[in-house]
Amino acid sequence: MDRKTLSRVEILQGTLDLLILRTLLFGPAHGHAIAKHIQRTSEDLLQVETGSLYPALHRLEAKGWISASWERSEMGKRARFYSLTSQGKKELSVEQIKWETFARAMGLVLS
Amino acid sequence: MTILETWLKQATRHLSRDSTAQVRREIQEHYESAFEAGIAGGASAEEADRLAVIALGHAKNANRQYRKILLTSAEARMLREGNFEARAVCSRPWLRWLFLVMPIAAVFVDSAAVARALLAGGIAMGVLFAAPLLPVYTPSRGRIFRGAKWIVLVATIGLAFGADALKWSWLLSSCLWLVVWIVWIEWTRVSIRRKLPVADWPKQLYL
Repeated sequence: MDRKTLSRVEILQGTLDLLILRTLLFGPAHGHAIAKHIQRTSEDLLQVETGSLYPALHRLEAKGWISASWERSEMGKRARFYSLTSQGKKELSVEQIKWETFARAMGLVLS
Repeated sequence: MTILETWLKQATRHLSRDSTAQVRREIQEHYESAFEAGIAGGASAEEADRLAVIALGHAKNANRQYRKILLTSAEARMLREGNFEARAVCSRPWLRWLFLVMPIAAVFVDSAAVARALLAGGIAMGVLFAAPLLPVYTPSRGRIFRGAKWIVLVATIGLAFGADALKWSWLLSSCLWLVVWIVWIEWTRVSIRRKLPVADWPKQLYL
């Protein structure tokens, strides 16, 4: 499949939470860094819209899977840094297993 | 008005003042980070601004998502105003007079039907107004109380109209606005309960 066809991959419903949790496994990050990390590691295939990212962050925070605190970013600005909680780590491993099972099943059907 | 300002205005539509301030702060901060990253990447100020705004996505989608998780202005108003049912009665003097006059009238009318209707009304009012005094301060107790409340309210209609309850059901349609109002209040409370952590619930949210 050529690069042009893959240039706009929509993030599947429900997978944004998993992407955020996985990104925060590497350490605390602010919203922009999370979006950039997802974009970079997916080789620019996934682009998280800001309007979806922050509501998802609020949702995860309300569930207690991530926590947030105001800190200084690498550019010296005050930014809200999000980090994974122990509950979030557990949830991440559960969600990751679910996703891998689903991806394997899809692969089997489509191959 | 800048493009960012227009975006923020659309994205924060119908959100409460606190929610709006929160969204503005985080989006502004995100925009500035994206803008600076663009400049650092060699883009011109105009190009960096354009890319940062594009990365925000659709403002209407953002608004829809934010309204699912942050308090709207209507919800914030309901939280501020406390017990809606009690306020509805206490803020209307004519309603208080009506409650006073009805039992007095019943004494003179000497009618079993009126007495029955008044008893039913009294029970319903008792449930509504006793609520803040009851030890309902956990979500499970709240669910039980709400279930009991609705059963009592439906039973009240049955008791008030007796065997003719079905025959008089047309009266409900004439009070459609009241039914819609009550459903709207309950729906808004459900929405607030979903958004606020239990630790932040005021008493009326349990009821």
